[in-house]
Amino acid sequence: MKMRLILASVFIPLGIIIAAVPENTTKPFRLTAGELLNEIHEGTQFISTDQIADMLVQKDPSLQLIDVRTQAEFEKYSLPGSVNIPLSDLLSEEWNDFLDQGVKMNVFYSNGNLKANEAWMITRQLGFKNNYVLQGGLNYWAETILNPQAPKSVLADDEIAKYDFRKGASAALGGGNAVVSNSNESNTAKPPIVKKKKKKKVAGGC
Amino acid sequence: MGPLIVNEIISPNTNLLIAMLIGIGFGFVLESSGFSSSRKLAGMFYGYDTTVLKVFFTAAITAMIGMLFFSLFGWIDLSYVYVNPTYLTSAMVGGAVMGAGFIIGGFCPGTAFCALSIGKLDALAFIGGLVLGIIFFTEGYPMWEDLYKANFMGTPTMNELLDIPRGIFALGLILAAFAMFWVGEWAEKKFPREEY
Repeated sequence: MKMRLILASVFIPLGIIIAAVPENTTKPFRLTAGELLNEIHEGTQFISTDQIADMLVQKDPSLQLIDVRTQAEFEKYSLPGSVNIPLSDLLSEEWNDFLDQGVKMNVFYSNGNLKANEAWMITRQLGFKNNYVLQGGLNYWAETILNPQAPKSVLADDEIAKYDFRKGASAALGGGNAVVSNSNESNTAKPPIVKKKKKKKVAGGC
Repeated sequence: MGPLIVNEIISPNTNLLIAMLIGIGFGFVLESSGFSSSRKLAGMFYGYDTTVLKVFFTAAITAMIGMLFFSLFGWIDLSYVYVNPTYLTSAMVGGAVMGAGFIIGGFCPGTAFCALSIGKLDALAFIGGLVLGIIFFTEGYPMWEDLYKANFMGTPTMNELLDIPRGIFALGLILAAFAMFWVGEWAEKKFPREEY
């Protein structure tokens, strides 16, 4: 009898509190402004054009390119296998599974750095992981991958090796004759994305 | 922060280790609450002993309040917590089978192992029946697959089904639990049994 009174005097007030407060729907993982500033300062979000070219040539399945320019620009030219998420649509529910996931490496790109970096900052602030930015954007992509300039022959071997790689990647990725439309390849359907929720074990009974 | 394993704070193997420690604790508490006595368990049905109701309902409301406060403080993301999928027909049929077995055998699966650990032979017989049941179910699965998968409802929680806020449902459940404790103790006085 006494035990029940003690229990009741603990549980019922707790129940009233939990009934009175609103449900906590915030995502636990968000960056503070300071942490975000630190990440921007370090520039860890940038992925070089060479690395992306290498992944594209090797058809790395973990790479997901995301074009944040407008749809018109996307239709004119886009990188192979990329999807178009215009910056204005970034927060729509439709793309949430693409952006908030733990499986693929998302790389945002636009013409330069600016729009892609904005997209990265927004998603990073939401606590999403695995989002990156193509350094220099498509302009730098065209400059380094599609139309690589031969280095001066006096330069070190690794510079020449880099040029050879870029020349090969350029041939593989449809470069050489500048910006050609290869949109018939790139407008493929959305690849299936596995949701971040990992499988959980079935809980037992009594 | 939580759940620890989903957010990769602990590895799956650490999870198993923690599960084992919790399991030992669970078994210990079951035994020390007298749950290894089949008469005590069957007493729930006949009304002379409602310890089962009190222990499990207290556990349920304690865990519920704990989870809701953890969520309130941002220590756990409840959307990542596993919710058993609901197959309504098999839940009802299975509940009836389990309940009948509970009354006839005097154990539920967990308490049977608990009683076996202190050397009760009736628990050994019960576990034998349990294993037979598992074999019967798995070998005959094609026969009951349709029944098993009927009325699939996804993974709803009670407050979603009733369309009321989570906290209000929690308060209601706590009040219902205390009402049931009161009814249980009334039943113990009404249907007393001298020795069991």
